[in-house]
Amino acid sequence: MNAPRWRPHGARMAVALAVAAATAAGAVTADAVASAPSTAAASAARHTAAPSCNPKASSIRPSGAPQVTSGSYMATIKARGYLIAGVDQSTYHFGFLNPLNKQIEGFDIDMIHAIAKAIFGDPAKVQFKAISDNDRIRDVQKGSVDVVAHTMTITCARLQQVDFSSVYFDAGQRVLVQQNSTAASLASLRGRKVCATKGSDSLAVIAAAMAIPVSVQYWTDCLVRLQQDEVAAISTDDSILDGLAAQDPFTKLIGPRLTDEPYGLAISKQHPDFVAFVNAVLQQLRTDGRWTASYARWIGNPVPAPPPAQYAS
Amino acid sequence: MSATAALAREAIRGGERRTPDALRGLLVVLVVLSLAWGAVAALTAEQHASAAADVVAVSEPLSLDAEQIYQSLSAAEATAANAFLAGGLDPAAARQRYQADLSAAAMRIEAASAMVGTGAARTEADLTRLSADLPRYAGEVETARADNRLGLPLGAAYLREASELLSGQMLPAASDIYANEEAQLTSASAQATGLPLMVIAILIGLAIGYVLLRTSRWLARHTHRMLNPGLVVALAAVVVSLVWLVSAFVFGRGDLLHAQRYGSGPAQAFARADVAALQAHADESLTLIDNTGDDNYQGDFAHQQQLLGSGTGTLLSAVAVPAVAADAQAWFKAHAALRAQDNGGDHQGAVNSALSGESATRFAALSSALGSGITAHQAVFASSARSGRDAFTGLEIGMIVASLAMVASCVWGLTRRLAEYR
Repeated sequence: MNAPRWRPHGARMAVALAVAAATAAGAVTADAVASAPSTAAASAARHTAAPSCNPKASSIRPSGAPQVTSGSYMATIKARGYLIAGVDQSTYHFGFLNPLNKQIEGFDIDMIHAIAKAIFGDPAKVQFKAISDNDRIRDVQKGSVDVVAHTMTITCARLQQVDFSSVYFDAGQRVLVQQNSTAASLASLRGRKVCATKGSDSLAVIAAAMAIPVSVQYWTDCLVRLQQDEVAAISTDDSILDGLAAQDPFTKLIGPRLTDEPYGLAISKQHPDFVAFVNAVLQQLRTDGRWTASYARWIGNPVPAPPPAQYAS
Repeated sequence: MSATAALAREAIRGGERRTPDALRGLLVVLVVLSLAWGAVAALTAEQHASAAADVVAVSEPLSLDAEQIYQSLSAAEATAANAFLAGGLDPAAARQRYQADLSAAAMRIEAASAMVGTGAARTEADLTRLSADLPRYAGEVETARADNRLGLPLGAAYLREASELLSGQMLPAASDIYANEEAQLTSASAQATGLPLMVIAILIGLAIGYVLLRTSRWLARHTHRMLNPGLVVALAAVVVSLVWLVSAFVFGRGDLLHAQRYGSGPAQAFARADVAALQAHADESLTLIDNTGDDNYQGDFAHQQQLLGSGTGTLLSAVAVPAVAADAQAWFKAHAALRAQDNGGDHQGAVNSALSGESATRFAALSSALGSGITAHQAVFASSARSGRDAFTGLEIGMIVASLAMVASCVWGLTRRLAEYR
């Protein structure tokens, strides 16, 4: 009923999976992963296999404060009465369903509420659609959501398929293990099973480190596997791993940041006006203290400076 | 004259010499035939009786158990998902139902394990898997509940895991047992109602009756006595036992066929529909928990709805009760409204409908209609199958006694005639 579980055995399977994962992620060509000898090389490959670009400076420059101009996509959203946002519902601190009040909350969700406030003057006018990592690009492309706020890294490959806002969060891939694990980094997990979600770009990095990628639907599914000793580690963005560690105090983050993961809000290529609008909203958040307040609330202190906005040309 | 008289005497004497030999030969033939009759009739009676007893005592309870394992597991999943949907404070009633469903499943698995005979290796393996998976499933549901109580999103992941275990491994094992036992039931039933051995027995019975009649007439001609009481008794015994055998078969067969046609057949149709409905109900809750709109679970709901359906060849058309089909349609309508509500952004409204609103009420109506249908038809099956089995009671012993009585009376009757020649 759910996504099939992959239980690969052996290195050949790992390579096969790496290829499959890379193809699914669309982040890298199969050859690049299969032959990549180290995580650094894989990381480099990830950014070179797609047409070269600067993921951090690829968005559309806003023209001043956010405004709902007539005939714009924002006007369409306003006429509909609510913003449709594709979000995560199982990633603690970024997008998760709080069982206590049954609301979806988190840092990503705060970004969405800010956009809704800029359109409607009411941050609550949002319909959240919980989607899995694997559906993010598809849902943006087919227009079933206006915007995706889903711990989504801006990559050159994804930029071919969707537009992104400016960077609103800086993350990097690390590794989460149980507290009694002796592994020091992803490199020491060679040949062991490491979990990530289907459609995440973390899978390719895991495969490149010669660990066996195990893919599941949600990040919490990875924590279930880790708690049941079905996988040796979980590897993805530290932002997500922090949220998993908060749910299980008997885990720890290990090793250095393996990659640079700038998060952006994904929007259809058909609505550049909306991309500029969202960038204007993000710019307000960076300067009026709301970004800092959200960071402090969800991720904690000390709060770094917000990632600076960079735009294409 | 004297020569003629001498010839006649000679003829009589010769006849007299031949008559005892013929009598002895006849006696042997009659004894052998009587014993053969006893053996075949008793074997036939034993086979039919044991097949009928098998239907009542082993196959029926086992397939009943298998079906109820499936039902209670599906119900447990639906209830667990439903309780989870309510949030950290799951309703006490839902929790109690979940516990009841789970212990019902455990009890049935145990009962089925105790009953399953040798030679049912596949059923045994399925039961072992179920016994091993049940505590794992319960553990995952409890972990989900504990995490949910702490407000952790991890809870939903454990519930997904549990649901995957249940629908990926446990339900297939339960349905495998059910399929096996249904096949067993059908073959036991076919054996109990089958004709070949019975036809042979009846032919032998008729043959021996014919031989007895011919013997009586031959004796009447040669000994100038109208009736040989031994042969009369033997003839009576063969007639009585033949009538008994045939009528037991006719009544037993009728009852067993009735049990199948109006009992286990419809009960099976109801059970299949019930299982599909339970599965769809769990999907409804899981879709809301996953909150991913028209995802896998909703896809499965649509699949189950199609299976239940309303057209020909669907599960509900097999049930063939218009009221039940109407209940199902009402629930599908409520579910469609719930999905529209959820897709329109009113998630809480959809959750309320699933927990205690229109959808919950409609499903409860459908579920209870299907449940009482199963119970009613199982009662029909049980009583008819039992009376079918009872039709064969004492038949085997009766056949043996009849054949021994036939042997005894033939010996008694013919030795009295033989004695007259000494």
